Amino acid sequence: MTSLKSDPKNKKKKLDKGHWISLKQVVKIYPSLAGPVTALKGIDLQIDRGDFAVIAGKSGSGKTTLINMISGLDGLSSGEIWIGEVALHQFDPESAAHWRGINIGVVFQTFDLLPTLTILQNVMLPMDFARRNNPPQQRERALQLLKQVDILEHAYKTPSALSGGQQQRAAIARAMANDPMLLLADEPTGSLDSSTADSILDIFETLTDQGTTVILVTHDRDVARRGSRVITLSDGEIVHPS
Amino acid sequence: MINIRWYKVLNDLAGNKTRTLLIVLSMAVGLFAVGVILSARSILSRGLAESFAAINPSTGVVRTGETFDEQFLASVRSMHDVQAADARRNLAARIEIAPDEWKNISIFVVPDYNEIQVNKIEPDTGAWPPPEREILIERAALQVIHAQVGDTVRIKLANDTIREMKISGTAYDPAQMPAQLDGTPYGYVSTETLDWLGESFGFNELYVIASNPEDEEWSRQVVNQVKDKAERIGLTIPMTMTAEPGQLPMDDILQAILALMGILGVLSLSLSVFLVVNTVSALLAQQKRQIGVMKAIGGSSLQLLGMYLVMVMAYGAFALLLAIPLGIYGARALSQSMAYYFNFDLASMDIPMQSIVLQGIVGLALPVIASLVPFISSLRISPAEAMSLYRTGKGRFGTNPVDRMISGRNLWFARDFPVRSFLLSLRNTFRSKGRLLLTLITLTLGSATFISVFSVRSSLTSTVDEMMKWFNFDVMITFGRSYRSEELQQLARQLPGVYETDTWQQLTVRRVRPDGSEGSMIYMFAPSPDSKLISSPGLAEGRWLLPSDQNAVVVSSALFIEEPDLKLGDNIVLKLYGDEFTFKIIGVSIGTSFGTIMYANYDYVSRITDRAGESDALMVSMSTHDPESVLSASSALERLYESNGLRVNTVDTMFVERAQAEAIFDTIVSLLLVMAVLMALVGGLGLMGTMSINVLERTREIGILRAIGAPNRGVAQVFIMEGIAIGLMSWLFGALLAVPMSGALNLAVGTSMMGTPLTYSYSVSGMLIWLVAVFFLSTLASYIPARNASRLTVREVLGYE
Ligand SMILES: Nc1ncnc2c1ncn2[C@@H]1O[C@H](COP(=O)(O)OP(=O)(O)O)[C@@H](O)[C@H]1O
Ligand SMILES: [Mg+2]
Repeated sequence: MTSLKSDPKNKKKKLDKGHWISLKQVVKIYPSLAGPVTALKGIDLQIDRGDFAVIAGKSGSGKTTLINMISGLDGLSSGEIWIGEVALHQFDPESAAHWRGINIGVVFQTFDLLPTLTILQNVMLPMDFARRNNPPQQRERALQLLKQVDILEHAYKTPSALSGGQQQRAAIARAMANDPMLLLADEPTGSLDSSTADSILDIFETLTDQGTTVILVTHDRDVARRGSRVITLSDGEIVHPS
Repeated sequence: MINIRWYKVLNDLAGNKTRTLLIVLSMAVGLFAVGVILSARSILSRGLAESFAAINPSTGVVRTGETFDEQFLASVRSMHDVQAADARRNLAARIEIAPDEWKNISIFVVPDYNEIQVNKIEPDTGAWPPPEREILIERAALQVIHAQVGDTVRIKLANDTIREMKISGTAYDPAQMPAQLDGTPYGYVSTETLDWLGESFGFNELYVIASNPEDEEWSRQVVNQVKDKAERIGLTIPMTMTAEPGQLPMDDILQAILALMGILGVLSLSLSVFLVVNTVSALLAQQKRQIGVMKAIGGSSLQLLGMYLVMVMAYGAFALLLAIPLGIYGARALSQSMAYYFNFDLASMDIPMQSIVLQGIVGLALPVIASLVPFISSLRISPAEAMSLYRTGKGRFGTNPVDRMISGRNLWFARDFPVRSFLLSLRNTFRSKGRLLLTLITLTLGSATFISVFSVRSSLTSTVDEMMKWFNFDVMITFGRSYRSEELQQLARQLPGVYETDTWQQLTVRRVRPDGSEGSMIYMFAPSPDSKLISSPGLAEGRWLLPSDQNAVVVSSALFIEEPDLKLGDNIVLKLYGDEFTFKIIGVSIGTSFGTIMYANYDYVSRITDRAGESDALMVSMSTHDPESVLSASSALERLYESNGLRVNTVDTMFVERAQAEAIFDTIVSLLLVMAVLMALVGGLGLMGTMSINVLERTREIGILRAIGAPNRGVAQVFIMEGIAIGLMSWLFGALLAVPMSGALNLAVGTSMMGTPLTYSYSVSGMLIWLVAVFFLSTLASYIPARNASRLTVREVLGYE
């Protein structure tokens, strides 16, 4: 498999000294009918560039909440999140969306490709949102990405015509569209059989090899073993910081 | 190559054809109704004014007892305050419409039909001007005399001459009340023909345009000047009339119809507003997860807002593409049929810009505004929440009073009934209470309008019943002069089948206003208050006459339209045979303004007019009331009186009178039916659209139900039951809302037509018809999408959103 990075000498690839992602006392409290639920109880965590970090833990332990904090898909109740020099916790949702669109790729358990767009168009969409390149250039890069995840022949099909594994490959291509430095995946193999899951995990591994930092959430021990480091959550707290 | 996000908009529109069709149709049907009603309303009111102005309408009419000549006409024309004047001969005659069945007809004689200056008569079909010994009939009157151009009819004059005349064509005379509305047909002949009919020529009707025709008060004064002038040369004046400026004779009914259309226009406008808002918020609810995903991959609020606004405007544009041309077509068809019925020509069928603009605003701007609210609130929630399967506080069922009510927990009466589980299922159908409320309001409005339209219709029938109820007789005969009451009754009793008889006096009176001016002609009926053949007419206010009453009158509610300073309990000065008498208004009966009627005590009126023991009208009740025997009896009575040398003026049978009264309401009723169908269409398609969109929105849930093993059939059933439940709820609320709504419509129609609201009658049949419709429509509306959804595989469903 060839490089998913557009430019291997990208400055983002240059490894900084020290920790790149840094969470300080991150707390998330959800309001609910039964009263507030504290999903994260003061998380301290550092992740380095190029890590393939796995967040593991039982269902309901707060994994999704934690990854949503890092991606900025949801705001935190208190604490700080730094990515390099950028203070994520100070972003308003609008700037978070813009920053995320360029710097972070996200992958979901249910793939969540837009059903009325073709695979190719799905991969082009983040570039359009980020106003990167013109449509022909976007298309060229999208085709290149699809080739790299081995589903080029499905480029002009709609998502419903693809298997789960193929859809997840397309979703990864979409996540990489803007050449992000960080890829976040919430149970990306949760809806897939184990051999398909393995091939998806191979892609993530390749990406880390090429310098992308990957944070992957799973409740599956076998999957967790693929990570370069494992952070285990239980009841909103980190159990074995590695 | 356009930006990819627009493909998403395009593909959503094109790829989801069922949804696009539903949304576009729901929007279009509301916009269509708005267009039809508002445009037709404006075409009609403008056409009415234009075609009336085109005939150079008179502001006043003076009828003379004796005939006058060109010279007097010339002297009226030369009066300073008279802008124009014209004269005609109006001949009361009878026309045979079936063997031995005669009907009153007014025949006009004009010296030169091409030189009419006031109240112009236009050629229509066939010959023009009327050829010698032939007659032209007003175009709306042919149906009343059951004849066609080319037929030969028999005409009987007051001098008992009977002539056969050929109908050689039709004329268009918009100054006359359409014949089917007041029952009197009109004919037109030349002066030579008049000669042949055995009458010498001379005018007896003066049409006057005052120097300032816009001023009704001034016009009245001018008419009075003309009347005084006529009296000075020895003419007697049985009647003068002043028209309301710029109004055709049937203006009152048309105004009632326009008022009704205005109200229904506003109703359909608000209905379509709700349809649009509801549709758009359903769409956004459905796309919630996709919006979350797009935010997750970097879409900014502005970009997403742009996408959805374009999408929503595209729906609106498609809807307008359907609604505007169809609305124009519908408005034209509707105005044409109304104009035909009311016998006036529409010079222009131009659609008013405002109604197109209004449609455009409702179709384009409103969806945008409607989507801004739910969109901005959907922007406020984080993408994580949008995509989360957790059901949390915001916008969902919580603990506030409304939610608790919808939960059914405090509905004590519902404790042992399936109402609570029904309400629970409603909470499921509508994930947000705002949407439930919107849908219910939309459907309730539609239901209420439909039922109200039916109720106005049944109220019209009740009003006619109420107006006719007091006639306990079958035939009424009026005579050319007063005869002894005893003599009239004795003759009638000779006829077999006559059950009971009674007499009254009938005279024309005019109000003398405090400023000395005179009002228009009013028919005064003076029966004995204790007559068995007359019971109290339907009273809007006050009481009916008692035998002990002296100068008491019961006036028709329509009097107050013309004389707005009067009310129940006031004194009114009336001119009877030239003398003024003061009466007191003790009651108000329900009546239209066609020939305003008032009632007084026979004993008092015959005394002050010095005609005690005499009458000029006879009422006869028969032992059998079927139309055939009543008709033959009425002809026999007419012959009987004539052979005894009495002068019969008119012979009326009550079933014909009743049909006449109903005919006046018929247009309104048929228009109401058109409106009911329109509303059913709006409400029905709205119901279908809303229900279907709701089911579509829950496709994912259906998939999950399927995934946990629910059978296809069971899943579809759940949704159909919920659809029916919502339909029934809206029907129930609509049926309740229809009570005040039809009350308001009755007030509007009744006041403009008769000065008093219609006799209220709630249409149970309308309510039941709508119940069936709602049941059928909601089943259909939820069945199709539910079946489609339950056929999807689980994976398709989960990939769907
Ligand atoms: N939107 C929400 N509202 C209320 N509670 C939530 C919400 N999302 C998650 N939670 C709660 O927070 C805790 C952590 O959830 P989550 O992060 O989804 O766990 P995981 O991904 O490890 O299964 C759970 O107890 C869950 O019930
Ligand atoms: Mg999770």
